[in-house]
Amino acid sequence: MRVKWIIKYIILTGLLFPLLMMIGWSITSGWSWPSLIPQGFTFRAYSYVLEPTTGVFKILINSMILSIVVTALTLLVSIPAARAIAFYDFKGKSVVKVLILLPLIVPMLTVAMGVHLRFIQVGLANTFWGVVLIHVIPGIPYGVKILLNVFELNGNKIETHARILGASPLQVIRYVTLPLITPGLIIAGSIIYIASFSQYFITFLIGGGRIVTYAMFLFPFVESGDRTMASALSIVFILSITLVLFITEKIVGNFYEKSSRYYV
Amino acid sequence: MRTKGVLLICFILVISLLCAGCTEKDKEQDNGASLQDKTWEEIVEEANGTTVSFYGWGGNEKINRWLDTTVAVELKERYNISLERVPMVPNEYLPKLLNEKQLKAEGTIDIVWINGENFYNAKNQDLLYGPFTQMLPNFNQFIDTDSPDVEYDFGHPVEGYEAPYGKAQMVFIGETAVIKKLPTNHVELKELAEKHVGKITYPDLTDFTGSAFIRNIIYDIVGYEAFLELEADKEVVREVIQPALDYLVDLKPYLWRQGESYPATIAQLDNMYADGEVLMTMNYTPFHIAGKIADGTFTKTSQSFLFDKGTIGNTHFMGLPFNAPNKAGALVVINHILSPEVQVTKYDPTVWGDLPVTDPNLLNDQQKQLFESVELGEGVIPQDILLQHRVPEMRAELVPIIEELWREVVLGHE
Repeated sequence: MRVKWIIKYIILTGLLFPLLMMIGWSITSGWSWPSLIPQGFTFRAYSYVLEPTTGVFKILINSMILSIVVTALTLLVSIPAARAIAFYDFKGKSVVKVLILLPLIVPMLTVAMGVHLRFIQVGLANTFWGVVLIHVIPGIPYGVKILLNVFELNGNKIETHARILGASPLQVIRYVTLPLITPGLIIAGSIIYIASFSQYFITFLIGGGRIVTYAMFLFPFVESGDRTMASALSIVFILSITLVLFITEKIVGNFYEKSSRYYV
Repeated sequence: MRTKGVLLICFILVISLLCAGCTEKDKEQDNGASLQDKTWEEIVEEANGTTVSFYGWGGNEKINRWLDTTVAVELKERYNISLERVPMVPNEYLPKLLNEKQLKAEGTIDIVWINGENFYNAKNQDLLYGPFTQMLPNFNQFIDTDSPDVEYDFGHPVEGYEAPYGKAQMVFIGETAVIKKLPTNHVELKELAEKHVGKITYPDLTDFTGSAFIRNIIYDIVGYEAFLELEADKEVVREVIQPALDYLVDLKPYLWRQGESYPATIAQLDNMYADGEVLMTMNYTPFHIAGKIADGTFTKTSQSFLFDKGTIGNTHFMGLPFNAPNKAGALVVINHILSPEVQVTKYDPTVWGDLPVTDPNLLNDQQKQLFESVELGEGVIPQDILLQHRVPEMRAELVPIIEELWREVVLGHE
């Protein structure tokens, strides 16, 4: 018992300590070795964040909307794909399984250059939907991989039961499949959301600067080595992600509890 | 049945997405040729009520704030132009412009903040609109159009394809609480390193400032005149800079970590200096130090210094992409930034601390007074001394050769 307790706190400290450092950095003007606590206090980073002319909150909200749309769309693509791979046998299935992981293996940068050319032609470059589409690509491997495991674990027996008892295909999706895969959906959705929220170069290229995301706003500060600014902006970054994930879990969790108590 | 249905849904989705893009009509593209015939008043009239997008580095809150407030507010009031700043650097927008060039597509960028190798590449690949500087009243009135700082960008002729934005100059920054006498040339720098072993270093040459530092050392040893006509051939360059390479190899054992590794960026070196890990840092923005002392990052005893033979200076510029959607607006914005009243606002180190491009000799007394009344802050070197110790950048194509030689000879030296 005691050992477990100690391990738990060691892990917690390991996770939280860097965060504490960041909070410290975001409000200090200097924090040099060997002093243990920051030497000067400054609010310049947060005051910049709160300045209306910087439009941080507008960018943040836009970013969140973008990533939520990306998450929804990616899940919409991933669910049928994962289901098909889990339950159907077809030629080249193992090839498809590998192909789905390609976005993680091939550098997005090279793909994005070609996609950009095509997007200019069809008029998707510099538009919201263009950025959404390019963000979907790196999200798909996560979505399919996670949901594939969920489908394989659950099997499709319960769905077959429902069909035999006279449920329509739509009713099966609504009352059986969705509640069953909800935990998987939350996890996959969270990862897709975070992946989309952190995308940098492909947003630049496809969005052409018309679509400005929070990562684009944050990155130059990290690169220029302004630790105070970078820390403050990163804290806002983390808070926004946590908030979205928390709300999703609450909403979906409620829905899940109501509709699934008969099945689990 | 069901799989077919899903397929159909996916298909409809993709089509509808594509169409969402199609409906965005391409605006009529103005190739800018007609602008050349217009008078300045007509251009200002055309720019009225438009939005101008400004693409440039966004990693400094002060510069961002200056553009977002001082410049943007005045543009709105005087010309009814909205300025939209996008934090995108050349490495990010040049690929975009290249793709757009290939398809002759309309752009989104009106102004780019650019110089050096990026300008050279962009101009060679016809990514820039021009020549345009002769159209700007403030360029003709307040800028010494024959000065090398304006005519050349890293040794390459500008030919009116970009307008100067500001000037930068390399300065070294030392901790005077420890260093009693700041070095004035490379020999004294080495003596300093020998005295404080492991407390001096410079950024790796992948960093812009680190690369400039090495060029500065080379200038100090062999003189900058040697590079004016120098052929961009590795062996030729090696022969000329050999004494400097020898010097750097001799210096290496006294550097931080015996010169086996170097801070990756100037930001890292600045942080090491702020932490007291090294005694010296450097910067290409001469008044950078004043801001750092003011916000408490650097100690009050920090002082910037120069070499007697001078330090490298360059000019940064603003250009227009070939497919800028609002060229008239872009010209008005650039013209506005070139006015002495705007140049003086960014000269103030608490605002930005960038050297003005306006020529003091072309200003009236009232305008001169504006510049003289700017409080420069702590640790800085006044502008007239900086300009007396200013040597030009060498041609852009020599820079990668020098970086390569440094890696082979200095970094590779056991």
